Amino acid sequence: MIVFDGHEPATIVFLGNQLAGCGVNAGPAGLFPDNPTVQERTVTGSADKPELIDELLAVIGDHDQPHTLLCQKTGLMVDEMLENALYAAPRHDDGSLLFSKGQPRQLLPNEQIRLRYCFDGSRLALEVRDTWGSLTASQVFNFLALNTATAIPDPERAGRGLFFMWRFMDQFYVSIRPGVETVVGGCLQLRPVAG
Amino acid sequence: MHQELHVQYRPGFKRDSFLFQGIIDAHADQHLEDVVRRVSSPTVELDFSGVGRINSMGIALLLRSIKSLKSEKQAEVQISGLNQMNSMLFKMTGIFLMAKEVSA
Repeated sequence: MIVFDGHEPATIVFLGNQLAGCGVNAGPAGLFPDNPTVQERTVTGSADKPELIDELLAVIGDHDQPHTLLCQKTGLMVDEMLENALYAAPRHDDGSLLFSKGQPRQLLPNEQIRLRYCFDGSRLALEVRDTWGSLTASQVFNFLALNTATAIPDPERAGRGLFFMWRFMDQFYVSIRPGVETVVGGCLQLRPVAG
Repeated sequence: MHQELHVQYRPGFKRDSFLFQGIIDAHADQHLEDVVRRVSSPTVELDFSGVGRINSMGIALLLRSIKSLKSEKQAEVQISGLNQMNSMLFKMTGIFLMAKEVSA
């Protein structure tokens, strides 16, 4: 197994997904910190993404090399989580994408995307939830298998964003209530940078 | 750090060099097509020293462009100026199997 950045790949926890044998209505409670410092932001459209990323980077700060690396990871994680919620989650009834990547868009009237985060100085918890519930457990496993199976570069390989989340986050979790909600979250740890 | 991607072309002797500044994501499509179109030298250097974030869509577009540079232009592709995070992403996605990293 290839190890990057000195830590093992995250553990995947599926909650609220029949395929994982859990109750359909179970939520990811307990996986995200429950304290008053948790910040929650409601996304209104794709234009919110840069502002939200900047907000998080300002919270972490760019004090030294470990913080710089945490900022770089955070930027990518939030980018991928919001891209998933904005572009990969919304689907027609036949499963085809409603919006193409990069297309500026506002949220639909009944759609919600929420970002939650909490930084205690050394550990950043991140979570994004959308109201589609269109991802399936088998897709998640397939995406991760596809991206870990071979090092041969392939521009068309699917699920690369999810793979990045799994590789970089600690305690990565996906909670799916089919047709109702998808929650993707995990933690990033401030780590000394190897010299 | 720039948000919107800018690509600066720096022609040289038997070498085309491109300095990327900004974020590489789904919006980089046209910029990267232009890079492939402009290359006429046997060696191409892609300098990422001005790049903050490269997301999964940006990686896909870079993979496609580097493949085109190698197959259509028969160019040797060199990469420089990566920050720590982007260097990890290039390792994970196999970009270093197609292009070698050099000092800026």
